[in-house]
Amino acid sequence: MSYVEASGLAKKYGNATIFQDIHFSLRKGEFVTLLGPSGCGKSTLLRSLAGLTDIDAGCIRVDGEDITRAAPQKRGIGMVFQSYALFPNMSVEQNIAFGLKLQKLPGSEIARKVADVIRLVALSGKEQHYPHELSGGQRQRVALARALVVEPRILLLDEPLSALDARIRKSLREQIRDIQQRLGLTTVFVTHDQEEALTMSDRIFVMDQGRIVQEGSAEMIYTRPATEFVARFMGSYNLLTPTEASRLLQLETRGHLAIRPEAIQIFTPGQAYPAHLSAPLPATIRQHQLLGNVIRYQVQAHGITLQVDQLNRRAEDLLAAGTEVNLMIDQQQMREVH
Amino acid sequence: MRAELYHRSVVAVLILLLTVPVLATLLYSLSEHWGATILPDDLSLSWYLQLWQDSAFLAAFGRSLAVCLGTLLLATLIIVPAVFVVFYRFPGLDKLMNALILIPFAVPPVVTSVGLLNIYADGPLNITGTPWILVGCYFTIALPFMYRSLANSLASINVRDLMDAAHLLGASTPVAFLRVILPNLRKGLMASLFLAFSFLLGDFVFANLLAGSHYETLQVYLYNMRQTSGHFTSAIVMSYFLFTLFLTWLTARFSK
Amino acid sequence: MKTTSLPLAGKPAVPVRPRSRLRHWPAALLLLPFFAMLILFSLAPMVWVLVNSVHTEQGLSLANYNDILSSPFYRQAFDNSLRISVWSSVIGLVISLLGAASLRRVSGRLRRLVVSITNMTSNLTGVPLAFAFIILVGTNGALTLLLRQWGLIEDFRLYSSNGVILIYTYFQIPLGVLLLYPAFDSLDDDWQAAASLLGARLWQYWRYVGLPVLAPAILGTFILLFANAIGAYASAYALTQGNFNLITVRIASLVSGDIFLEPNMAAALSVLLMLMLLLVTAVNQWLLKKGARHAR
Repeated sequence: MSYVEASGLAKKYGNATIFQDIHFSLRKGEFVTLLGPSGCGKSTLLRSLAGLTDIDAGCIRVDGEDITRAAPQKRGIGMVFQSYALFPNMSVEQNIAFGLKLQKLPGSEIARKVADVIRLVALSGKEQHYPHELSGGQRQRVALARALVVEPRILLLDEPLSALDARIRKSLREQIRDIQQRLGLTTVFVTHDQEEALTMSDRIFVMDQGRIVQEGSAEMIYTRPATEFVARFMGSYNLLTPTEASRLLQLETRGHLAIRPEAIQIFTPGQAYPAHLSAPLPATIRQHQLLGNVIRYQVQAHGITLQVDQLNRRAEDLLAAGTEVNLMIDQQQMREVH
Repeated sequence: MRAELYHRSVVAVLILLLTVPVLATLLYSLSEHWGATILPDDLSLSWYLQLWQDSAFLAAFGRSLAVCLGTLLLATLIIVPAVFVVFYRFPGLDKLMNALILIPFAVPPVVTSVGLLNIYADGPLNITGTPWILVGCYFTIALPFMYRSLANSLASINVRDLMDAAHLLGASTPVAFLRVILPNLRKGLMASLFLAFSFLLGDFVFANLLAGSHYETLQVYLYNMRQTSGHFTSAIVMSYFLFTLFLTWLTARFSK
Repeated sequence: MKTTSLPLAGKPAVPVRPRSRLRHWPAALLLLPFFAMLILFSLAPMVWVLVNSVHTEQGLSLANYNDILSSPFYRQAFDNSLRISVWSSVIGLVISLLGAASLRRVSGRLRRLVVSITNMTSNLTGVPLAFAFIILVGTNGALTLLLRQWGLIEDFRLYSSNGVILIYTYFQIPLGVLLLYPAFDSLDDDWQAAASLLGARLWQYWRYVGLPVLAPAILGTFILLFANAIGAYASAYALTQGNFNLITVRIASLVSGDIFLEPNMAAALSVLLMLMLLLVTAVNQWLLKKGARHAR
């Protein structure tokens, strides 16, 4: 039984379609990510769920209740904005208590709930600080606490990590996921960052030009991109046109052939290779790039440049530019995409 | 959309509030006669023709232009080098200057007039009733506009680096100022001059109290014409207003 | 300005002799005319006013102040000036606030039009403004006659307290809009979105977030409008030919009237006027400081 049900959502500004034909359903407690490049309509879709933007068509149900036309105040939805949208005239405590005060809860209950959520997001000691006195990561957690404390039915996160630097982003990623799982909160997360989407989500909806082009688990999306767009967007796929595919691998395909860089293995001449793989493909190393534990080689075969990832084991194993090698490609990891 | 309609209505009311007095004066100046009707009858330019042939009006207008332009010229000659010196040699003074130039802004002209009338009515500087005392006062009115604008222009370029570069290329300090710094100030200076001009033209207090009928400016002339036909005075008001409009337009053009 | 420079890497540091300020004396000469004008026409009159306000024929005394404070006529002038300044500032502020808030929500073309109109009409002050209003709503003004004919009003007395407030309000609006409009840019639209998701109605957003954030700008604008009104002279003078009792009208008539001149009395009135301005500014500063922690 799905908790959130969206069907046929569509939105236009003048002649420009922002999104259309959006259908999805979320289970209770699920963490779903809307992933796509900027301008694909994911943020507007999120604001539509919150009721901040009107939709032209479609229906949104939460827990069986139709909220398509409900005011934002009545939806029971919490949201964390990209800019955090903390009220600058209120302290951390006042920001968090704002929603509870509007519900006219008794003071003692407000104090208890605020204290609980401040502990949950690890902001103890910052209660009396004002937003401009906090770091980006702390502001982020205040925004999260403010959205959580009113116990929303759904939590929406609009690129909440994009303004932070890499190290804080990683630790906040874990914190958000941890809190979400502890509270069992149905969550929709918007990002343009594949890595964020892959590490946090139960399910990913990939969006392109106002449509959801693929949905599935992180593993699914990563290893089995449904379209050329998804393959490109998930990063570093080698994409071969049908002519390249037939030239290189003698394979007849109608769409592009997507091959992940780690699905290709490099064998130096004389090195023994397992016979069950495809025939060896002669190639030349062009250059390499060090990505920490992985070395990414640019390798040329039949005039086609491929990216190949190898584990960075020993410095002596590094292959110099110009080295002649053989490539083996795992056929099972090739995917035809359209 | 309800919200959109509301915002448009508010803005429409605002426009109406601001423009109705102007439009009414314009219509009045263009009509021979206006009784209790929505629109006047007999539109004509006769009041303007009469006004622009009135020697008293032309003389007053001329006096206003003379004293305002004279002040602006003097102010440019004094303020431009002063601001440059502050920025180039005594940057620490900028704070003090910003406070000083606000004094004429903060003190009501009536109050300043009390002191001026008594200091310059006799003694070594007996200039009350002459245009010179107006030039002095108008200098202080123009000062905040011109100083701020020039200071903003100078803050946006790196004065010290530009001067050092010019010096290394063999320019003396005055040449470097004239050829390198001054061209960067031109636009901001022009905008502030036109803005100050329209402010100076609008002065009635100093003109009336310090010079009065000895040196009748446009504003004083307008006041003295209060007993004549309303159509005639509205032609004066509109002529004045259109002239300041022209100055506002020039200000906007140069502030771009 | 720091005059020491960092030594270049690899070279021994040579101590740099600090340059003397005296080196710049020719430059300082260029400041001389500037300060001379400022002193002659701005500072000297101020000092004269301050000194002579405590000067009477009997020498140094506060008699002038005593006379003013015990005179019903002068007290009325203060009363009128205060009432008219406060009302015209408050009404002008409210109209400007509503206008500036809506201005952000209309199309760019309309917005630019309004900004030019406010710029233009901010030139309409003083004598021309008074005359424009006499033409429109004076005893025989076009609008007065029209409204009277339609039976909407019996009479509008422009040459009264209400008339002066009307005219003052008119010149406050363009100033208020021009001062407040930029302040609205500091409001983030997401705040309203966030507030509504937390259950706030529109008025609650303005009550708890929008207006508190704008408060410093609103207060500052109020002070400028108030100072603008209380120091104004020309419009009220032109409207009533000096018959409406305001502080500025009193001051001017004490130094330029035809009958008797009492410059020291004018000086004392001037000092009281400026004290009022100072008081209002001080209250403003105090209020700002009270709410300053978040203001940045």
